[in-house]
Amino acid sequence: MIEGTSTGAATDLDGNFTLEIPDETCNIAFSYVGYDTYIKEYNTRNADSFRRIVLQANTTELADVVVTGVYERKKESFTGSSATYKGDQLKQVGSSNVLQSLKTLDPSFKIMESTQFGSDPNRMPDIEIRGKTSVAGLREEYGTDPNQPLFILDGFETTLETVMNLNMNRVASVTILKDAASTAIYGSKAANGVVVIETKAPARGRLQVSYKGDFSISFADLTDYNLMNASEKLEFETLAGVYTDGNGDPFNQVRLDNLRNDRLKNIARGVDTYWLSEPLRTGFTHKHNVYAEGGEDKIRYGIGLSYGNTQGVMKGSGRQTLEGNIDLIYRTGKFQFSNKLTINYLDSENPAVSFQEYANANPYYTKYNSEGGIDKYLYYPEEGADDYPVSNPLWNASLNNYDVSESFGFTNNFIFEWFIQDYLRFRAKFGITKSDDDSQTRLSPLHSQFDDLEDTEKGLYTHSLGKDLTYEGDAAITFGKLLGGKHMVNAVGGFNFSNDRTETFGYSANGFTDDRFGAPSFANNYPVGETPDYDLNVQRAASFYINGGYAYDDRYLLDFNYRLDGTSLFGTGNRFRNTWSVGLGWNMHKEKFMEGTDFFQMLKIRGSIGNPGNQNFSSYRAFTTYRFNGWMTNIFGTGVIVNELGNPDLGWQETINTDIGADITFWGNRINLTFDYYWKDTDPLLAIISTKGSMGVSSIAMNAGAQKTHGWEATFKISPIYRPSEGINWNISLNATSSRSRYADIGNSFSQLNEEGKASLSGTTRYYDGGSPTAIWAVRSAGIDPATGQELFIRKDGSYSFTYDSGDETVVGDTEPKIEGILGTTLYFKGLYIGCYFRYRLGGQVFNTSLFQKVENIGTEDVYNNQDKRALYDRWSATNREAYFKGISLVQTTDKSSRFVMDENTFTGESINIGYEFPDRITRKLKMSALSVQMTMNDIFRVSSVRVERGTDYPFARSISFSIGMTF
Amino acid sequence: MKRNITYLLAILTATAICSSGCSKWLDVQPYDEIAEEDLLSTEDGFRMLLNGIYIELNDDMLYGGALSVEMIELMGGAYALGTDDSVWGNYNDIASYSYDTEYWRTRFNETWDKAYSLILDCNQLLSAIDSRKGIFSGDNYYIIKGEALALRAMLHFDMLRLFGPVYSRNPDADSIPYYTEYDGTAHAVQPASTIAAMVLQDLSEARVLLSVDPVRTEGTGLDGPGAGATDTFLYYRSLRLNYFAVSALLARVNLWTGNRTEAFKYAMEVIQAGNDGIFPFVDRASVSGSPDDPDRIFSSEVIFALSHSQRATLFEDYFDPSRLPNYVFTMEGGLFSNYIYGGIGTGGSLYDYRYLANWRTTGGNSYFYKYSDMANSGNIRNTMIPLIRLGEMYLIAAESQSDDIASGLQYVNILRDSRGVDPLPSLTADLLQYEYIRELYGEGQLFFMYKRMFTRVLFSGTASGNPGPSDEMFVVPLPQSETEN
Repeated sequence: MIEGTSTGAATDLDGNFTLEIPDETCNIAFSYVGYDTYIKEYNTRNADSFRRIVLQANTTELADVVVTGVYERKKESFTGSSATYKGDQLKQVGSSNVLQSLKTLDPSFKIMESTQFGSDPNRMPDIEIRGKTSVAGLREEYGTDPNQPLFILDGFETTLETVMNLNMNRVASVTILKDAASTAIYGSKAANGVVVIETKAPARGRLQVSYKGDFSISFADLTDYNLMNASEKLEFETLAGVYTDGNGDPFNQVRLDNLRNDRLKNIARGVDTYWLSEPLRTGFTHKHNVYAEGGEDKIRYGIGLSYGNTQGVMKGSGRQTLEGNIDLIYRTGKFQFSNKLTINYLDSENPAVSFQEYANANPYYTKYNSEGGIDKYLYYPEEGADDYPVSNPLWNASLNNYDVSESFGFTNNFIFEWFIQDYLRFRAKFGITKSDDDSQTRLSPLHSQFDDLEDTEKGLYTHSLGKDLTYEGDAAITFGKLLGGKHMVNAVGGFNFSNDRTETFGYSANGFTDDRFGAPSFANNYPVGETPDYDLNVQRAASFYINGGYAYDDRYLLDFNYRLDGTSLFGTGNRFRNTWSVGLGWNMHKEKFMEGTDFFQMLKIRGSIGNPGNQNFSSYRAFTTYRFNGWMTNIFGTGVIVNELGNPDLGWQETINTDIGADITFWGNRINLTFDYYWKDTDPLLAIISTKGSMGVSSIAMNAGAQKTHGWEATFKISPIYRPSEGINWNISLNATSSRSRYADIGNSFSQLNEEGKASLSGTTRYYDGGSPTAIWAVRSAGIDPATGQELFIRKDGSYSFTYDSGDETVVGDTEPKIEGILGTTLYFKGLYIGCYFRYRLGGQVFNTSLFQKVENIGTEDVYNNQDKRALYDRWSATNREAYFKGISLVQTTDKSSRFVMDENTFTGESINIGYEFPDRITRKLKMSALSVQMTMNDIFRVSSVRVERGTDYPFARSISFSIGMTF
Repeated sequence: MKRNITYLLAILTATAICSSGCSKWLDVQPYDEIAEEDLLSTEDGFRMLLNGIYIELNDDMLYGGALSVEMIELMGGAYALGTDDSVWGNYNDIASYSYDTEYWRTRFNETWDKAYSLILDCNQLLSAIDSRKGIFSGDNYYIIKGEALALRAMLHFDMLRLFGPVYSRNPDADSIPYYTEYDGTAHAVQPASTIAAMVLQDLSEARVLLSVDPVRTEGTGLDGPGAGATDTFLYYRSLRLNYFAVSALLARVNLWTGNRTEAFKYAMEVIQAGNDGIFPFVDRASVSGSPDDPDRIFSSEVIFALSHSQRATLFEDYFDPSRLPNYVFTMEGGLFSNYIYGGIGTGGSLYDYRYLANWRTTGGNSYFYKYSDMANSGNIRNTMIPLIRLGEMYLIAAESQSDDIASGLQYVNILRDSRGVDPLPSLTADLLQYEYIRELYGEGQLFFMYKRMFTRVLFSGTASGNPGPSDEMFVVPLPQSETEN
């Protein structure tokens, strides 16, 4: 088609075409359904370059459709709050997994950083969309993370593990559903938001083979560690009185003096061991994916095979995945059958010695003895001395320990569709997932943990086996028709059922007599008094749902959802639950008064309200169950007693979710603004509450109080340079999110947890009405009194006191930042692509546990561990009265005060990437149809206003990866 | 089009049919645990639940230790303790009534939680049994319900005796909560008199239900149903809270609340059953005839005992002299030789069957052998931990016949006669207490006796070594699990 004229031509089957063109400069537009229109200037001399025109598949189209997994709706006429990201976009940001990339792209999707487990590749993260809906800190009681969103893969519910393991190259799009209008179709599972993932369907055409390879190296980020060197540590120990006998025993004093002199000599000799590097390595990760696809109108097929080997930054930590998938689509007349089969295998291993133990080792010890061997103990006290031996982490790590697991499973999803009319469609789905996993750990009998045990009880082997079978079926009718030219009506109604059966077995054995022979057959006993573990959990659900959408003239929009859910989780008194939502929208840019200006490409205002629920709870809470009191039988036989008391009236936890938002696009698609303000009121909360002993049970599941969250999120995107026709595009984006939560009506339900928190060394979370789940509770501190060196506390009434009283606790900070988001920029220049994403977190506080536990509160046992450098400096003494920290002491305990609460502002280089798509002339020479390369750096730097040790058991990692994609 | 609609309707109908079974399908019963619906659908299930409660009474925190030979007897002054803090520290704390130590707070907490968890089991049984009356054979419905009510009353009563006020001084002081059902809420503590009334009500109802108890006609059946028979349910009645055990408890509770008339009435009912041969006094031959194999717990006189399959551990853990010097509980020497089994005008004698059967003196020290096994190892008597015995009924009768204790002499002397010792010339409260010590030593009743009578606790033969009486020593503070949640 020649622009500005009606002259055009269609291609034949092979794509050849003839077009008469005027003998002057003109623009020729090439278009095809599903592909971007390509406009090329003809200037009478470049006819040759028209020999081959390759259209780009239309990628923006996907982003304009909201895929909810149950139905699809045009984004423009949808009133819900959602965000869609294409597979390529996710891949550009990072190659580790879908979730890590989503975190960088969407402000409301958060992966909770674990300061304990760092970048452990085998650790499942905690994920939240728009904050928490359940009581924080009760994860263990609930079994699973109660704030985890629902994951839908190709229309079927799936697990976090599956999403983590999913090969990113298979992903077509990911949609995050955030508000009630978009999530309510998932009813009682939707309160935490929904992540909908669609994998690619095989493309039509001749057989096409593609290869994608990802190679990355990762290395530990230890910048947050601030440990003492050998002489600092010895000086600290000396000041702390380690080398002074408390009772004035002259013999022991001589021993201590000798010990110190030995260590001094070693230091003088140059001993200053850096232990942290010992368990670490540069992790090399490589992933390969081959996919063959093709087919014609009736049958399309795709066969894929991928392998991934991820090495963690700690030695002995890694993960291997092997996945095969077969996608088939068969279409005949009005019927379409599609089937996706995925088979996966995973094996993983974890290090036997945690990073912490290396961080604890003192720098004045040497790693190896004079013969170059590894000693079991870094220090072993003389006969009669009142010290503890210090074990060598290298010794424990050198033993024949293992901690491995493997899993094998398959998923088969079958979809039948019947296109009854162009406006009416019936679809039935059935999916089945089976997975078995098997994990084994073994600690060698020589491990220092077993020092105090008899030889016949040393070593420990544990084995656990899990079997999981899930099936889900769904039948739905979809209707969509434009009536009378202006009334667009969409409707979906359906029925869904699911069954999830999880069975776990486990046992342990001990009594290994040799390090080297680690097979469980060499164990001699079972640990005394232990019984096999067995757990069977069956959850069933059945639901009816209906969704309707109505748009008048594309201007006034209405969506509603209703779902009736029944689940075996809840008691007979509360088995079924209703979920509803209503959304309204107004496309102002389609209004008459906006006609004439084409300044706004989109100006939509929308709002929604609904009550999605949450059922991330373990089953049988609603039933009373009994167990055998197996320890004794009598002449009357066996007996049973109550095992767990059910609450048949347990109410579903539900969240009233209200959202108002706007989507604005203007200046020729160059500026894009999305804003949402939301309220999430969870009422009632479901919690495990400790009860009075006289109730006969220590805790019961009950409904208690409410949690109210409100927040906003905004995305601003501008394209200072926007020339799609030339393939040049520069975007700058800034997104931000902020939310605040508080408890209401919880009364004294959590008083036990509050008391435990007060009594614990460093627990700063409390549960009070009006308090935030992320608030830091501690007594305010006026600092260290220069005269006495004691900490001066500020009481509730504002007066000062040297006495710590947990009753004076107030909120002294909040770990939730005031504002958090991503600043990003992307530049496309022909085939070249550069992207940078930086995360900022501002206005939050943190309770600095490094200062609290590794500077002060170093007890008589902790003093033998290496400590933070700050433990030596800035300590109060008669000569340094203005110090921030108390004097060095082993017996003084420091209480939780605001002195350790610090403002935390961070800035992280989350993803920096550069890619290049080779032009056709090169790919053709290489006999390929496409070739691309990419380099990505993840978490490459992090700047923070607080220095606190992160990654105590497993360090955080930085990574650089290279990807290559080839299609033949 | 028409055909399409027909298909569609067919699919919808099929869906509707599938979904009608929905509720049933959603009713998933656990497999790795026993669901209440499964368990309590048969008489056997009820029997198992009831037996589960009896078995759990043997828990260390209840009558398998703390409330029989250990904690409660330490509080009752039964044992002479050493001074070595590493061995005896915690025991010295409890013997000096220092309840507010970390160790004892936890211990009382555990006892409390365990007792109430069994009360919960009783309530679960009781709340289900009435609607399923039809599944029971014979009189078993009455027996099971009666025993469960009695167990609930007994556990509440012992918590009341332990944590409640000294009843004779403060009957209306707040004591403990009483649970007659589980309703998902915590019940408030109530005055001791209210709790006692509820205990009495449960016991009275139990006694009516248990009027069909075969113990009244067939005896205790302690020798079992005979070879080959497997259903033991209506035998071994003295291992269950039988009809007479409930009467005995009624006597005990009424004595506690100061209702002498009722106490006397019920004590006499049980004494009559003893005279009728249901609980005969122990034969001289079986306690002193063959010294190696005495019936040390006087099993025929036991009205209610627990059956603890490892009862020998009580002896091994607390009384076996071969354990020296750790934790060997023995009576203080002066108390032993000058008051209980010796002395002038105390009624003490070394010919007392209770000495002959329960004590052994070596090297000048006497050791307590009540819980040492009989030679016949499979004997059911070797599992018994007596909780109520006939002798106590005579002592209750002596104390409750009138408000003049001296007139109770005849009851004490009947008991003494059956123990092979001379009658007392007259009776005083002190002499009655010595008799209590002889009869019930190591059975967890002494502390409650002193608390009831509000007298000093006899730790030793030296008056200065016997503390009290005071509310501080007799009233144990409510555990933290109750006050802090």
